[in-house]
Amino acid sequence: MNNKKSQEETTIDRRDFFKKAAAFSATALAGTSLLANEVTGEGDPAIMHHTKWGQVWGDPITTNLYGVPSPYEHNVTRRSTSLLSSGNFRASIAVTPIHESQGIITPNGLFFSRSHGGTAHVDPNEFRLMIHGLVDKPIVLTLEQLKRYPSVTRTHFIECPANGGQEWRGPQFNSVQFAKGFMASAEWTGVYIKTILEDLGLKPEAQWMLAEGSDNSKMGRTIPVDKVLDDAMIVWGQNGEALRPEQGYPARLLVPGWEGNLCVKWLRRLEFAVEPWYCKEETSKYTDLKPTGKAIQHFYANEVNSTVTSPSPEIDWSHLEDGATVEIEGLAWSGMGTITGVDISFDGGKNYVEAKLKGLVLQKSWTRWSIIHTYKKGETLLLTSRAMDDAGYIQPTIDEETKIMGVEAVYHRNAVETWEVTETGKVNHVQIRS
Amino acid sequence: MFKLDRKLIISTSVAAIALLGVGCVGGESAPTFSDGVNGNISIDGGVSYPTINGKSGNYFVNESHIGRAINNGRVPTDAEEAKWNTDVMAGYVYNEDPKALGLPEGEGSVEEGEALYEAQCVMCHGDFGSGGGGYPALSKGNAEDLQKTLTNNRYQDPQADGPTRVFGSYWPQASTMFWYIRDGMPHPKSDTLSVNQTYALTAYMLNINEMSIDGQEVDDEYVLDRAKFLKIKMPNQDGFEPNVRGSDSLPGVRAYYANPANFGAHKVKPAERCMTNCQETNATVVRIAGEGISQFIPPMSIVRDLPEKKAETINVKEVYSNACAMCHDSFLSPGSAEWAGYTAKGIDKVYANGINGTETGMPAKGGANLSDANFKLMVDYLISGK
Ligand code: HEC
Ligand code: HEC
Repeated sequence: MNNKKSQEETTIDRRDFFKKAAAFSATALAGTSLLANEVTGEGDPAIMHHTKWGQVWGDPITTNLYGVPSPYEHNVTRRSTSLLSSGNFRASIAVTPIHESQGIITPNGLFFSRSHGGTAHVDPNEFRLMIHGLVDKPIVLTLEQLKRYPSVTRTHFIECPANGGQEWRGPQFNSVQFAKGFMASAEWTGVYIKTILEDLGLKPEAQWMLAEGSDNSKMGRTIPVDKVLDDAMIVWGQNGEALRPEQGYPARLLVPGWEGNLCVKWLRRLEFAVEPWYCKEETSKYTDLKPTGKAIQHFYANEVNSTVTSPSPEIDWSHLEDGATVEIEGLAWSGMGTITGVDISFDGGKNYVEAKLKGLVLQKSWTRWSIIHTYKKGETLLLTSRAMDDAGYIQPTIDEETKIMGVEAVYHRNAVETWEVTETGKVNHVQIRS
Repeated sequence: MFKLDRKLIISTSVAAIALLGVGCVGGESAPTFSDGVNGNISIDGGVSYPTINGKSGNYFVNESHIGRAINNGRVPTDAEEAKWNTDVMAGYVYNEDPKALGLPEGEGSVEEGEALYEAQCVMCHGDFGSGGGGYPALSKGNAEDLQKTLTNNRYQDPQADGPTRVFGSYWPQASTMFWYIRDGMPHPKSDTLSVNQTYALTAYMLNINEMSIDGQEVDDEYVLDRAKFLKIKMPNQDGFEPNVRGSDSLPGVRAYYANPANFGAHKVKPAERCMTNCQETNATVVRIAGEGISQFIPPMSIVRDLPEKKAETINVKEVYSNACAMCHDSFLSPGSAEWAGYTAKGIDKVYANGINGTETGMPAKGGANLSDANFKLMVDYLISGK
């Protein structure tokens, strides 16, 4: 067999090619006059003009084999501010644009991110997890061995307990991204720590577990065994893919509903002991100073909370026409249970009506709610939302909360929050307090 | 009661797992009120969702692994455990067991600590730990005096003095300081200080917080060692609730969170919640003072357009991490406020100093192989952080 084409065949191929090419370009040139839809007249240019993308080839399917958002979405991004950061942005936070969030899942690239020594980039081949202390059998696991445990998949939010914590003494951020965006939600996949402990055997005197990261801050926190044996997990999956480095790749702790800070990222070690550890992040920080001068330590659960996400200071109602039917929408969440209901007030919390829950209502998860409103041009409103959970808790007013907690607590602020809708439809973050 | 149930859980019985929530409550700390539909109260005062009939709340659970050995992984060697187990505990329970406590033998003086501080810490934490520029203060003066400010609460008066929360006035334990300095500082290259250096720096921390150990002032001559360290009593040691000391601390934690009044939470039966005339009569609308905080990175925008293309000949972030970060991460880092002190003399002078190098530590072009134009891009990046 001769694989080489004869000289003659090649010539024919080439001639054929040029002929086809010529025919193609003739149609292409003629196309504009012959084939185009020539309707003219009045109309929206977006409809009347040929759009660029409607007449030319799109990208080949091999472009962006790992997809990225449309470049038009570049303003939908995490944001930071130097006021919440160390001078070099290594002990800092970047918050989620919840004014642009949909549903109860945050895309991985927008998931809020907090670190104490920068985002670590862990080589998964060198990942090791040591579990030791008061267990019958201490172990070291590789990533592959960790992922071999029977897994569970759960949707939970993670919230920094300082969410809203800049505003104990008055509103500061005219932005829902910064006022409430120290949190995000994802579907996590991993293993319950109790599943691993079935194998290792926990000694009866064990009361506390240290979780420690491998990052440069060796971020550590102590967790009571109650939670470890309830729903605490080690997770490696985030919305169907590996954790992002900002979320602790390749594995982090997930302590559903509790302070985000406990969900130690870049995990390397779990140790069990009789007494807690007094980590920096459970003494110097993440403790709530009360007016009595005593501070609450080991304050874990993010309490029932809610916010209006639409309208927001970012996306307000100044474009709405009189009589527009508009959906006031928001998020509610509780680290202590499941959302059972959300009330909405139009007068800053004097009078409430019930809003409707929407979509999936899951334990320790973001829950969507909304109410349909007919917008009257020029009306002024004070939109306040108030959520309840199945543990029996309800969001307090600002006065009720500060009466007990004072205004220096920094963390765990969950009082109701208010958006003022002004005459022009602008939206401002305000607080109703005496 | 609790221990017993937990033991059952660990010994692989499905029924015992279902008991978990109940086990956690314990008779002694049962909450006084819960409207939770699931009934079981977690240590945090919330609901716990035990697995019952293969379901936990809304989720189905595959429990068929229970009772089967999994045996993943291997036992760590002693050396491996020692390498990673560098935490230092407070010592209420472990004081008698040096290995468990984790505090190594060693010593260091205030004088050595001060020299180390000047060399490795002052650029971020300021003179005598004064802090600033986004870096925490490590001292604000006399620990005992400042501990008394913890009852300050700036309810409405922005001029009032707030509480001062630094190591000396606030932290319950000194073990935290030793552990954190050794494992987490200095920030740009942690895990590089020896045990003796850590004792020295800890001694210096006690010194600038004007503290004493066992009646003796930690003055400029003081030498700290393990035995003295164990005698440190922090002024605010008793400033925290719930109590977590001792070998049986969890019942107290459970009881604390079973009472919402302890932590500013509110419980109400849904049918009894307020729907009309709920707000306090003297409540008013409080608006953001002045501009509020609005210097966001990147600036807030909801516009949907195409991002600006930067005419960049080099990837400034990459060059920075390869050629500048080792020095500039800790001082004059990208976007840091410290640049104001340099740019004051005019940007051309800054470019020239960078290109030619300075006596005071900046190598010519940072030692990098860059054209003048590209080096200037680097300087722009360092100054703006963008
Ligand atoms: C590059 C800047 C930088 C340098 C250099 C540095 N630190 Fe820090 N330090 C930080 C930052 C940022 C934090 C806060 C970390 C966080 O938020 O978790 C911090 C936190 C601390 C804290 C905890 C403070 C508190 O009240 O919570 C101590 C103690 C400390 N550093 C000691 C030191 C010592 C000792 C050195 C020198 C050996 C040092 N630091 C060097 C940036 C630095
Ligand atoms: C070996 C450490 C080192 C490296 C590497 C280094 N710098 Fe510097 N740089 C310094 C020091 C130290 C100073 C402060 C000098 C002073 O205060 O006089 C400095 C100052 C500067 C200044 C201010 C000059 C002035 O006096 O106004 C610029 C600009 C600068 N560096 C740019 C860079 C850039 C860009 C890089 C990387 C391409 C870089 N440096 C790499 C140590 C370094």
